[in-house]
Amino acid sequence: MNQVLTTPPAVGAPRPWKFPQSTTTSTAAGTPVHVFDRPGQYVATVRVTIAMPLIAEPRELEGIATIMSRTLDEGTELRSANDFAAALERHGAAYGVDVSSDALHVEISVPVSHLAPAVQLLAEAVTRPAFNPADVGRHVTIRLGEINQERANAGYRAREAFAANLFDPSTRRSRPTAGTPDTIRPLTNVQVAGFYRDNIGPGRAQILFAGDATGVDVAAIVDEAFGGWTSASGPAVDTPEPLYIPGDRVVLVDRPGSVQSQLLIGCAGPDRRDPAWGAAAVANHVVGGTITSRVDTVLREEKGYTYGTRTSFAAPRKGGTFSLGGAVRTEVTGAAIGDALRILREARDGLTEQEVQEAKDSLIRTAPLRYEQADSVAQQVGSNIANGVPIGFADTYLAQIAATTAAEATDAYRRYVGTDGLLVVVVGEAKDIRPQLTALELGDLIDLS
Amino acid sequence: MPLTYPIAEQTLDNGLRVVVSSDRAVPIVAVNLWYDVGSRHEPPGLTGFAHLFEHLMFQGSRNVASGQHFSLLETAGASLNASTFFDRTNYFESLPSGGLDLALWLEADRMGYLLDAVNQENLDNQRDVVKEEKRQSYDNRPYGDSYERLVKLTFPADHPYAHMTIGSMADLDAASVEDVHAFFRTYYGPNNAVLTIVGDVAEEDAFDAAKRYFGHLPAVPKPPAAPDGTIGPLTEVRRDDVVSDVPSDLVTMMFRLPVDGTPELDAAGLALDILAAGQSGRLNRRLVRDEQIAQSVSGGALPLIGGVSFGTLTGIASDGVDLQKVEDALLEEIEKLAEHGITGDELATVQAQAERDWLEQLATCAGRADEISHHALLFGDPNRINTRIDQVKAVTVEQVQAAAAQWIRASGRAQVTYRQSETAGEQA
Repeated sequence: MNQVLTTPPAVGAPRPWKFPQSTTTSTAAGTPVHVFDRPGQYVATVRVTIAMPLIAEPRELEGIATIMSRTLDEGTELRSANDFAAALERHGAAYGVDVSSDALHVEISVPVSHLAPAVQLLAEAVTRPAFNPADVGRHVTIRLGEINQERANAGYRAREAFAANLFDPSTRRSRPTAGTPDTIRPLTNVQVAGFYRDNIGPGRAQILFAGDATGVDVAAIVDEAFGGWTSASGPAVDTPEPLYIPGDRVVLVDRPGSVQSQLLIGCAGPDRRDPAWGAAAVANHVVGGTITSRVDTVLREEKGYTYGTRTSFAAPRKGGTFSLGGAVRTEVTGAAIGDALRILREARDGLTEQEVQEAKDSLIRTAPLRYEQADSVAQQVGSNIANGVPIGFADTYLAQIAATTAAEATDAYRRYVGTDGLLVVVVGEAKDIRPQLTALELGDLIDLS
Repeated sequence: MPLTYPIAEQTLDNGLRVVVSSDRAVPIVAVNLWYDVGSRHEPPGLTGFAHLFEHLMFQGSRNVASGQHFSLLETAGASLNASTFFDRTNYFESLPSGGLDLALWLEADRMGYLLDAVNQENLDNQRDVVKEEKRQSYDNRPYGDSYERLVKLTFPADHPYAHMTIGSMADLDAASVEDVHAFFRTYYGPNNAVLTIVGDVAEEDAFDAAKRYFGHLPAVPKPPAAPDGTIGPLTEVRRDDVVSDVPSDLVTMMFRLPVDGTPELDAAGLALDILAAGQSGRLNRRLVRDEQIAQSVSGGALPLIGGVSFGTLTGIASDGVDLQKVEDALLEEIEKLAEHGITGDELATVQAQAERDWLEQLATCAGRADEISHHALLFGDPNRINTRIDQVKAVTVEQVQAAAAQWIRASGRAQVTYRQSETAGEQA
């Protein structure tokens, strides 16, 4: 008979792990192609990452980059929107675009057995879009409807108010990536085509493949599809450093009928250029990165105020943010904010050796899980390119984490969180929340509806 | 052609079914437990209990302190969670393979000895957390109660699928520690679960480890089966028209569908995909692209094991468009498919999409472990993960039309609409 073990069994040392290596070639048009061969990954991701800083958008046409990106596949020089979708989906492919502060990502995921025809279609969307007036007009209308949906979403409202009150109005990131009704409504297909012409070309792009490349000449397939790409677009402009608004203040966004308050509390943070990027991640893990971290131990597990909150350091190419986000019960909103701010500020006094060691173990040992699937490799590398760091930055990041001491983690945290004040955004039933907030003495209160 | 993921299976003396799929190419291992208890098993008055355990199972057990389950596994590099559904609950973690013993020990301790740690204090606390989960996931978002309304219309009140997994807050409020203990003693035992281990471990070592940590746990008396939910298609239209502060008007329909594991359900699912999936689906082409009366359309089948499944179709009206137009167009397309069928090209497209979805689901150890547990628990055959695509590809255009004609009809549907207050006012 087995004896029942009353203490946890020992954990064996993990096998060494490194971020997957790539083979890099170039298309005839000069676009770098990075192939990550991932045996056993039968669904491949092919991702085209194109430098496209949003500051290239005219102020009065913000969102033009998003509309341009969303209409790439809505009719090409060769096919109507309906025919393009039918052809792509017939190969079992899924297509998507993503616009960030610094880059446009266009990608397909497709069974490797259908790679060549799907990559041809991807190239058709990226290099030969038609921008027909009807298709652009339809996407303007869809974007306007989407804005209505966003305004009804508490989490979105919180993010919008956070950006608008953390960044100076001169910083593009103070306003929504995908534009606002007044900047979207006037867009024409001629303007969209012009923006494409000025900003999208082979010299600004890098192409990634992640998947099982056994017996497949990926570089040749990509070159066949993208080698003839020509464009008059110049190099991407350099995004200026963002300007932050310092100080303690509260922004209360009224959302009548809310049964919870959506919180977003934060400040400026580092970006990947900062050698303490890894140390900041360690500190974040301790303070609010998981269910066992300091914030949720109190807000969720002790007090039952929330289904869960999380903190994060996030950053595009230049200038990051720290934030704590989550939803709490309306009647305990003030108490929850008070607890959250106390925990965030107390963390400045120091993170313990044990906390930091556990956070480092968790962040380092979960790496092979994070990059198990082909698509997650392509996502990570695309994001590295967009952020201006080497494509193997994941290894650098893990090395930074491994080298982080408790003092360094605390120091990275203290440099940002609570140093120049904290912005508190609350989205909820304002008439019930306001009296709870004034009792907390959080600085200026800004009311938004 | 079938896939070739290896599958080995053993049943321990206490009835625990263990399935192992070794994959030495990755340095990680996935552990996944499916318990044969979901919201369909919950008797009246105990709704939300299966889901409540999804919370209580992380509050400690005989040899594990509260919070320690998470902290031990996170430090070992795990990603972990649990989920509750109509048919089952599952608990899972993936981690570097040196942590396999730890994961199994933690799962075994809570399977065998959870109740040592379930007391009034953590019941009260987790009940509060569940209420916040309900507010966040259902109450505080537009259309958040649409599924709850749809299943109520689609199934009779006492039907196992007539309530959502989150359950009734009144039932949770009324729950005593003893109710909670009794529910656990009924459903949580080795003979009511499947344990799957996938990844960087040799088959024999995985079976040995499963025996080492679970072998001593006693079987529970055979749990009561879930009530039989077998029921045919809806034969009438059941409506629930909601007026509320929504951003856009929305119509959503639910249909009863055949039970999971049958070619009829696969065919019905493909029919819904032909209508609603992707950019090339019939509804997107017509409502969003050509007529531009809808901002978006969506839909699909939700396979279930208890005698019947269901599927949905949803359309959000474009600004200024009467929702009735969207509803009419949806119904027209539904009837057109049932009466005139589909093309071979349409079928090949949704089959190709289903194949990609399936390969992606199996692309991680965690995804594979989940599907192995699923097919072992609900169908008694984990090898089905290797033949699933062939089953979907074997469906013919005739079968799709026949399933649609029987199950997806304008005259047999549940329907919920949401209209903005002002539009509704004009109509009144």
